[in-house]
Amino acid sequence: MQPAGHGPRFFHMALAVALAVGLVSGTFVLTDTIDAGFHGATTAARGSVDVVVRSTSAFSGDASALPERDPVAAEVLPAVLFVPGVQMAWGNVWGWAQVVDRDGKAVPPKGMPTVGAAWGADQRIVSGRAPQGPGEVALDASTAGAQGFGPGDRLKVMFGGGSEEFVISGLLKPGSMVASTMVSFDLPTAQRVLQRPGAFDAISVRADPGLTAEALRTRLRPVLSDGYEPVTAAQAANEAEASWSKALGFLTTALLVFAAIALLVGSLIIFNTFSIVVGQRTRELGLLRAVGASRGQVIWTVLKEALAVGVASSLGGIVLGFGVARGLLELMRALGYDYPTAGVVFLPRTAFVAVGAGVTVTLLAAILPARRATKVSPVDALAGTGQSAETRALKSIRGRLVGVAARVLALPLIRVFGRPAMLGRDNAVRNPRRTSATACALMIGIGLVGVVAIVAASMKASAERTVRDTLRADFVVSAKPGAPSGGGVPPAVADRLRRAPGVDAVSEIRTGEFGFEGKASSLVAVDPATVTTMHELDSTSKAAALQLDDSGVLVRDSFASARRWRAGDVVPMTFARTGEQQLRIAALYSTTTVRADFVISLGAFENNFAQQLDTEIDVGLAPGASIADGRAAVQQALADFPSLAIMDRNEVIAAQSAQVDKILVPVTALLALSLLIALLGIANTLALSIHERTRELGMLRAIGMARGQLRSMIRSEAMIIASLGAVLGVVAAVGLGSVPVASMRTVGVTELVFPVAQLIGLVVLATFAGLLAGVLPARRAARLPVLDAVGRD
Amino acid sequence: MTLLLNAPLVAEPEAQLAPAKVMAARAVDAVKLHGDGDTSVTALDGVSVGFERGTFTAIMGPSGSGKSTLLHCLAGLDTPTSGRIFVGDVDLSALDDRRLTRLRRERVGFVFQAFNLLPTLTAEENILLPLSLAGRDPDPEWFDQVVDVVGLRDRLNHRPAELSGGQQQKVAAARSLVSRPEIIFADEPTGNLDSRAGRDLLAFLRLAVDEFNQTIVMVTHDPLAAAWADRIVFLADGRIVDEMLDPTIDGAVDHLKLIGG
Repeated sequence: MQPAGHGPRFFHMALAVALAVGLVSGTFVLTDTIDAGFHGATTAARGSVDVVVRSTSAFSGDASALPERDPVAAEVLPAVLFVPGVQMAWGNVWGWAQVVDRDGKAVPPKGMPTVGAAWGADQRIVSGRAPQGPGEVALDASTAGAQGFGPGDRLKVMFGGGSEEFVISGLLKPGSMVASTMVSFDLPTAQRVLQRPGAFDAISVRADPGLTAEALRTRLRPVLSDGYEPVTAAQAANEAEASWSKALGFLTTALLVFAAIALLVGSLIIFNTFSIVVGQRTRELGLLRAVGASRGQVIWTVLKEALAVGVASSLGGIVLGFGVARGLLELMRALGYDYPTAGVVFLPRTAFVAVGAGVTVTLLAAILPARRATKVSPVDALAGTGQSAETRALKSIRGRLVGVAARVLALPLIRVFGRPAMLGRDNAVRNPRRTSATACALMIGIGLVGVVAIVAASMKASAERTVRDTLRADFVVSAKPGAPSGGGVPPAVADRLRRAPGVDAVSEIRTGEFGFEGKASSLVAVDPATVTTMHELDSTSKAAALQLDDSGVLVRDSFASARRWRAGDVVPMTFARTGEQQLRIAALYSTTTVRADFVISLGAFENNFAQQLDTEIDVGLAPGASIADGRAAVQQALADFPSLAIMDRNEVIAAQSAQVDKILVPVTALLALSLLIALLGIANTLALSIHERTRELGMLRAIGMARGQLRSMIRSEAMIIASLGAVLGVVAAVGLGSVPVASMRTVGVTELVFPVAQLIGLVVLATFAGLLAGVLPARRAARLPVLDAVGRD
Repeated sequence: MTLLLNAPLVAEPEAQLAPAKVMAARAVDAVKLHGDGDTSVTALDGVSVGFERGTFTAIMGPSGSGKSTLLHCLAGLDTPTSGRIFVGDVDLSALDDRRLTRLRRERVGFVFQAFNLLPTLTAEENILLPLSLAGRDPDPEWFDQVVDVVGLRDRLNHRPAELSGGQQQKVAAARSLVSRPEIIFADEPTGNLDSRAGRDLLAFLRLAVDEFNQTIVMVTHDPLAAAWADRIVFLADGRIVDEMLDPTIDGAVDHLKLIGG
């Protein structure tokens, strides 16, 4: 059943599907591994705590290590301690803290923001002793090991209010909290540096032996006043895991979308391969039919092979999946998302889904070619009608289109390779269906990469335009890119800036989440008095900003009109700390400079949010002050806050571009997998074509085609197919790129930019990739002995 | 007719320099073994034969006699295990693949039984293919002459699929002629043709020899085809067993019967 020389096609097909299945399987391995790591960490963090007493929260946003809750007053602790069945209870304090290494640089946090905490009974010391007094700190052992710190060393730590130096008293056992980097202080010190005077973030309670957590929780409830709640430690952990799983769910979905694209491209290759193979075996299948095989039996002979490819590639894909998961973890690590992991997790579900996807896609892709095999009548099949089918295809619309496109794309190749490139072009054209199907696989990947490039360029151009046209601030202060979102800019910074010489105006901007219509929405908080001096707004938006007070809210006009809201209407907004609040619409705005649909005043933010951190601070210099002097003054004022970035307008533009690139890189990397699969498809089609044209190649060699010319001919064919796919992809991207860009209007993407050089570069790159795809088939073809080709005695 | 069992058909190399007998190609004591050791098969068993310029030679013999192997060795498509092959005065055993390719391109023409033409090229492009691979410009007068003699003038822009089998073989023959090779090798060129088309092609080959002083060596099993040649060389079991000058159809059939073909 296996015609000679078809080994490579089996391998190419299986590899193409295996790569796609690898991404499916790798996605599950990755998210299961992160999930398990997180579960392990929360379980370990829960330790010997049974119940947690905390402030109630009316709304829970997305995953955050620093929950948006009010502190627990210190007076609650004695009340808790007197409840029968409480063996032990202690106050917890935690907050953002940043360890500084020996060179004065912030130690990059591993995934979670670094946590500073009060020493508690749930922490363990592995060397040295617990921190005591205002000058001591305990550092987690893994960070200490990585940075070369030990007990007795001095350690600088940054907090919201500034930085301080401590002596390391001991090293903490890692994994005792969810955060991977952690510092611990005694309670009074923690309350001071983390700004919780006379309060805790929560109270941890341990039950007497024999008493269940649930029973203790019931006993605690009556002693707590309104605004506090007891929850079992298990429930608290579940909540953390749930919000975490939600975030992971997004990741899973996103990765599976890329896997689906890869599977689609892979299925095109399967389809193409089986179409060619069935075509080549028309005689053989016709013979089967002639000797009495039913249509079903003939279909089955083809599907059997597809099934074998599907199973083999799925199993290979599962193995590849481990590598993919590892690669993705490394990619996330490189991007600053490091999650606690404890060994790779492989669930049976992963195997089922991977094999299911691989086998289904392969069989579906093979079923049409298999059916086509039986449509030819046995007599025609035995007579063989290949040539006429080829001629017919040439005259079809697709044939003409492929012909014209190939002729144009081949021009530069003909300049380089001469006659062999012309023969390669003719070979690419002679079977338009095969060529277009192969190019189509590449078109999908290139098209998506092109759309991503267009969106990214549009985002960058829009950001640049917004900054150039509307930003009037001389400097913008924000947490350095890559710093944890929980970090933000402490309010103390704004006060220092106001006192700095040469600084004329300071305007703080905060962002927060709130509940609206049952979902988390984001808002921006501004200082109505100063925001319009820092940002040039259209007249309506400017008037709206000036009308904002602490009981009002500004709503984007498009958002409001969809709900028939008008100024004066009241909007119910649910805040974690204060519950549902009725805010009156002060005015509507249209500017896309603000990337949220709701704007409140800083006063309203302070009333309704527990964490008061600035997202950015806009700084205006006094008229006549030089930028250089201004920068020096700002730097001087912020000397204690090395984790803050001070950016002028150009640097803001650069930072926003870098932010776009941070998304662009992993997305392109994931799409590259589809491109790789498409290139395998090119190699596969060429291998099959060469097999089909063995005698023709032998004739060419006999009448004087040199090996090098033969290789050039096949490489040219590969490059023409690749550039055809790339050009179609870029054309599709240019046609479709405006759709996602238009949909991002309300988040400030107002420019539609086609990165021409990048798109052309994409075509050139794909063409060279096609050259690489053609290398092996070309080598094989050049090695074919001439005599085998022209036939021996 | 004399039965010349393995007698040398050519004089020693020095003697060949005599102008009267210019050899377009020759084999000297060519041996070809297929496979290794015990399983090896002797395809050519010490064949020495020469082909005088401007002559038309047919090689005949039963299947497995080694006639195609001899043709392939003479054409530089295969290398003999021992012995030497000359095309003109070039010793093929001294050539690497690149030089052999160039030799085939410039000094040898081919007509095969099938798969002769590139389906993607027109008749004209097929005819000019060896020249364009060599990067050489065709001599337009010679091209016109060849095309007219072969009668393909009105078919030049047709692709092979639009030509009859006989026309396709004529295109192949024209292709082999257009580069003015030292020698043309034809491997069963009429094997796939009906008798009329076969006769046309053979007439053309005959013409190429008579009018253009071309040298042609043709392998065939068809006595009707062989009778068009100036000479028939008979092979059996890898050896030359007989030779016939100015052959007739009946003579060829008789000889074939004699050697068991």
